[in-house]
Amino acid sequence: MPEGQQNWLKWLLRKPFLLLVILPTLLAALYFYAVAAPQYVSEARFVVNSRSSDANAQMSAMRGLAGAALGGFGGAASGEANSVRDFLTSLDAVMEADARLDLISLWRRPEADFLARLWDTEPELLTRYYNSMVNVTLDPTTNVTTLRVRSFRPQDSLTLAEALLESAEALVNRLSERARNDTLRLAQQEIDIAERRVLESRSAMVRFREQERDLDSAGTAQAAVALRGQLEAALAQARAELTERLQFMRPDNPALQVTRNRIEALERQIVAERSRHTDTTAVVDNAVLSRQLAAYERLMLERQFADQQLASATASLESARVEAQRQHLYLARIVQPNLAVYPLYPRKLTNLASIFVVLAIAYGIGWLLIVGMREHAA
Amino acid sequence: MNLRAELAIIGRGARMQQRVIGALIIRELGGRFGRYYFGYVWLFIEPMLLGAAIGLLHYWRDRPTAFGPFEFFAIGYILFFVFRGILNRAPSAIPGNQALLYHRHVTLPDIFFARHIIECIACAGVLILMLFGLYVVDGSIPESPIKIAAAMALMALLSQGLAFLWASMSYAVDVAGRFLQAITFLILPIGGLFFLVEWLPVWAQEIMLWIPTVHIFELLRDGQFGSRFRAIYDLYYVAGWIVVTHLLGLAALRITRQRIGLE
Repeated sequence: MPEGQQNWLKWLLRKPFLLLVILPTLLAALYFYAVAAPQYVSEARFVVNSRSSDANAQMSAMRGLAGAALGGFGGAASGEANSVRDFLTSLDAVMEADARLDLISLWRRPEADFLARLWDTEPELLTRYYNSMVNVTLDPTTNVTTLRVRSFRPQDSLTLAEALLESAEALVNRLSERARNDTLRLAQQEIDIAERRVLESRSAMVRFREQERDLDSAGTAQAAVALRGQLEAALAQARAELTERLQFMRPDNPALQVTRNRIEALERQIVAERSRHTDTTAVVDNAVLSRQLAAYERLMLERQFADQQLASATASLESARVEAQRQHLYLARIVQPNLAVYPLYPRKLTNLASIFVVLAIAYGIGWLLIVGMREHAA
Repeated sequence: MNLRAELAIIGRGARMQQRVIGALIIRELGGRFGRYYFGYVWLFIEPMLLGAAIGLLHYWRDRPTAFGPFEFFAIGYILFFVFRGILNRAPSAIPGNQALLYHRHVTLPDIFFARHIIECIACAGVLILMLFGLYVVDGSIPESPIKIAAAMALMALLSQGLAFLWASMSYAVDVAGRFLQAITFLILPIGGLFFLVEWLPVWAQEIMLWIPTVHIFELLRDGQFGSRFRAIYDLYYVAGWIVVTHLLGLAALRITRQRIGLE
């Protein structure tokens, strides 16, 4: 029947709308309704939360999707949610899932049709295919991440969604652990530095005391000054007494000898006291004492500072611990991945309608342009 | 009537249309700038002066952006100039060239094609000149020239589709043409020239992404400095706008042509 066939072709060529729009749409319909394998969707929803919103999130999780839709997440960590989304669409996640589940055979089930099944198994191309079958969206207002996995068997979708959720959980735990360790390590380093400083200042103090044979330079200096003051006062008093007695006694009166002896003894004592802290002279004596005192005070100050630093470092370690508690991230599942019963994909009617509309519009434009061209030749 | 003869007729028509458009371009240039040689230079100077002025204005006013303000605004303005130039001249296209339609070979789309080709060549020339100038002055090279060219082409196509529609509309209803100036003026602040979608809050992003020119400007910026920000655009959406406006616009032009014939 070559004759009839040719006629049929000619007829088709004379009806370009049928050829270019209706025929492709019919072919697509044939594919979608007769050939295409059903694809089952497993959907899970989760939020990445920090501990401060613990109670809140659990409550929301219990309330399920309604709670999520109301957006009642105080401390939801959207930066980490972005990281989780980026991770779930990355080559890394694909490789992890592939190692666990063998993605290639999962998307090459015998029931998969030739257009939708996985063809290329190179990691990069597998990732591209994976991203067409696995959809991760983050709602920026509620911070709920939705994971949708498609495959040719309900059980496959469910296990893949579960595996992806588990690796996302592992990622969040890793991030959380890392952040916590960083905070604590910094505070701990501060404490170590402060402790070393305290120990150094104490040992410097001990060395100073051994060197100077003096337990408390400030106290010693004070005592020395006080003693000298007392001696000087006593001396002045004795001298005054002597002058007073000379008014009514003869200078060679033996009663005066006692007072004179006391004055002499006091003067000797003062000289002895002065030379105790000295090398030779009184001027040097003062200098030595004050140098000793200055060094001692510096050491005391250093010790005080070190103590204060240690106290504040300890306080900041405490607050870092609290902070780390708060920084503790976790992935809270709102909707557990489901086992699909009805295949939602491929979206037959939507796809057909859009194919038809696109072809019809393209045909319309083409027709208008070609008719425009023809007019020139007329 | 077989297919081969049909194709031959279409091919002859296509060649003829090409020549008509070529002739119309020359006529349009002569009409717009006079027959002085310097006149053609104006074609390039107009967008260049405006683009450079806007760019310099922002260069002096606000320095602290991650991108050079001159690159950001001057190059962006050239693209906006394509849009504005094509749309603003649309209402006068039909009344101004009505007499030409007495020639059997001249059709309404030809007139538009000729004008739009002139605008595109002028703006593309200025764009290349400015990019080259920027390279000479501070050695900045756009990250992806293909994306810049694509943005330019998409902008021209979108403006063309809108111009078809607008010209037919203002031919039918005289007032429509008068609104146009106001509308191109209003689209200037929200058309994507002055911001990146990334800078906006989420709710504003959702509103802005309904405007097709915003997507085109994002594509342009992605081509200029794509690695320095997160470009948000959907070329399918822009393509949808272009395709639908072309379909409606070309159909509207056919209807308008019949009405002109009746007069």
